[in-house]
Amino acid sequence: MNPVFSKAGLRAMALAWASLGAAIVAAALFAWGSLLYLEKEKRDGLTSQRELQQAQARVDAARRERDDLKASSAIFEDLLKRGILREESRLDFVERLGRLKARHQITSLDYEIAAQRPLPLPGGRAFNAVEVLGSRVKLRAQALHEGDALAFLEELATPESGFNPISRCTLRKLEVTADVKTSPRVEADCALEWISLKDKRGGRAN
Amino acid sequence: MARHILYLTNENLVSLVARGGRIAGRKVFPVSGAGQEEFERFLKELGPVPAHVVTDLVEEDFRVDTIPHLGTRDREVVVGRRLNQLFRNTPYRHAIVQGREAEGRRDDRVVYTAITNGEVLRPWVEVLERLETPVEGIHSAAVFSGRLLTDLNLEFSHTLLVTFTPGDALRQTYFRNKEIKFSRLTPVALEEGETLGTMVSGEIGRTWQYLDSLRNFGSEDRLEVCVLIHPKDRPVVEPELRDYDRIQHRLLDIEQVAAKLGLKPPPLSSSAEEVLAHLLLGKGTENHYAPPELRRFAVLRSARIGVLAAAGVILASGMAYAGWNLSFALQGREQDFHTVRQIQAAQRELDEIARSMPAQGIGGQTMRDAVAFYSGSLKEYPTVAAMLVPVSVVLGRYPSIRLTQVAWQAADDDKTMPRLTPTIPRETPPLKALAKGSGPGLPPAQKAPDDPTEASFSSGRQSVALLEAVVNVEGTDFRKALGEVQGFVDEVGRIPGFRSSLVDSPLDITPKVGIQGRLAERIPASSQARFTLRVSRATEPRT
Repeated sequence: MNPVFSKAGLRAMALAWASLGAAIVAAALFAWGSLLYLEKEKRDGLTSQRELQQAQARVDAARRERDDLKASSAIFEDLLKRGILREESRLDFVERLGRLKARHQITSLDYEIAAQRPLPLPGGRAFNAVEVLGSRVKLRAQALHEGDALAFLEELATPESGFNPISRCTLRKLEVTADVKTSPRVEADCALEWISLKDKRGGRAN
Repeated sequence: MARHILYLTNENLVSLVARGGRIAGRKVFPVSGAGQEEFERFLKELGPVPAHVVTDLVEEDFRVDTIPHLGTRDREVVVGRRLNQLFRNTPYRHAIVQGREAEGRRDDRVVYTAITNGEVLRPWVEVLERLETPVEGIHSAAVFSGRLLTDLNLEFSHTLLVTFTPGDALRQTYFRNKEIKFSRLTPVALEEGETLGTMVSGEIGRTWQYLDSLRNFGSEDRLEVCVLIHPKDRPVVEPELRDYDRIQHRLLDIEQVAAKLGLKPPPLSSSAEEVLAHLLLGKGTENHYAPPELRRFAVLRSARIGVLAAAGVILASGMAYAGWNLSFALQGREQDFHTVRQIQAAQRELDEIARSMPAQGIGGQTMRDAVAFYSGSLKEYPTVAAMLVPVSVVLGRYPSIRLTQVAWQAADDDKTMPRLTPTIPRETPPLKALAKGSGPGLPPAQKAPDDPTEASFSSGRQSVALLEAVVNVEGTDFRKALGEVQGFVDEVGRIPGFRSSLVDSPLDITPKVGIQGRLAERIPASSQARFTLRVSRATEPRT
């Protein structure tokens, strides 16, 4: 019989066997503990990376917003100057039409300004802070020359203050008798939107 | 690590304590009761140092034999039985299986050796047992001395190694083809008028005669006699050793041998125990005579060392693996710290940006919405003039075509068809197409689109116009008129950003519709044919 596994041998080897057992347990504990720690660090690392990405995304978004705001700020200043947030001044508009009629030699000008309404935008688009309002203006103008009519419409659509985009227009040549030189030759039948914005929270800006 | 070589002769026991592979202490104990007591005291002081007992005794016997070639297990049984038959009364016995015969059944060659009188060992073994000394083995100096010939490259067909023992004896060991066959120990007891040289020469002669009588040599064989001797004994021995045809002597200077083997300091006499002990320390050898019971403390010691080494390896492996993991974890941790610093920097930058944001009196959201609406819906909004001015430039190049009506619309897409009430030219041409749903002489009915007043505010991404015009037809020359109209349509379509298509042709000549002609006796020199074309233009992409 191998003396190592005899009773005396086992007794003599007890400390060695115990050391081996302790070494196995200790090694397993070291390995297991270090593995757990490594996995925890990996998890923490992933979390940190995610947080960093989120923070960087927030910073990028903030930078974009800041840049947008800087760019928007200049545009907004211009819009404010053009009175986009101002209430309609229909009297001003009426006077302006009169001035344009005279300037572009419009022989006759009939118009109709509808009541202001919330303007339905394409795709049902809406804004959180502003309400888009529009007053539809239909007009019929007669002019001696197509150029006068076009110039009148161009100036009407691009006012110094306010926004009056023309959405539809029909230009038609009129039958004229050869002996009447002052009778109108062209007629414009148009519709435009008189657009203004209303701040939902603070009313209108001046 | 210390090791203990106990070189036992019939006269004394030489204790050689080695440390770091070198012999560090030598002590001689006479074979007597006092010597054993002194040895026990010495061993107690030395502690449990593993011991190798090397025997160089008269009682060592060697028998040469052959056995049938068998498998390992069967051979062990046969050899064990044979050992038991030959050396029944001693536990100190050993068999050396040396190889196979070249001829006949090709039996295995075996040398059996034993210490026939165990009593010479008993007192020393009792001391070792009592003190639980780990005995690694009991080795035969004669068997082991073959290693010396190998290390000194003294390998001949027939070699007789002659050494002196510390017990004043002469050991002669015969090797045939490097295999031990015989060994003999002769006390050095010089008679009157006899010198060491004559004694050695005489003993070698007797051994040769004995070996020759056993027919160990062929007619051409020569025995190479290698004598390990100290320089101080050489002058006495060398003159007496005469070479013959069948015997050749080689004197091995023990100091030179020691130098060659790395033994320092060299032995002080011709006694070979230190040379052999040095070889044993260097390369070790198998146990020859020690029974398992005697080796149990050495086995336990080896097992203990092995188990502790395994424990150390396992623990080191665990720690190494843990260290490996920790190194990665620490790298990850360092990376984490770096990431946290980056997050903090990002947060600081975010705060800085928030502070530097332009403030608006009525709130940033209002500003953003107002600008978004303006940029998306008003900034690039089309105008009538922007559409008609380029078209009128083209029209100037076609004097035969006259524009009568324009229906323009700002639209969301280019499929929109503006509404237009057709006009009838004063002088209609003699040929006209008969479109479905329209009577002769009437232009085709326009499909009425939805009323724009009811529609939502158009995005104005497209500027669409339906142009009604008339082309001058000379007589019935519609080919020229149609060519003019197609040229006009194509040229409008080539204006950058414009698309144009003919909606109503002056004369639809496709097989799908009918054509009515009224050619009177006198055909008018010219007439006007109505047509419409659709023009669209995409505005700049919005931001």
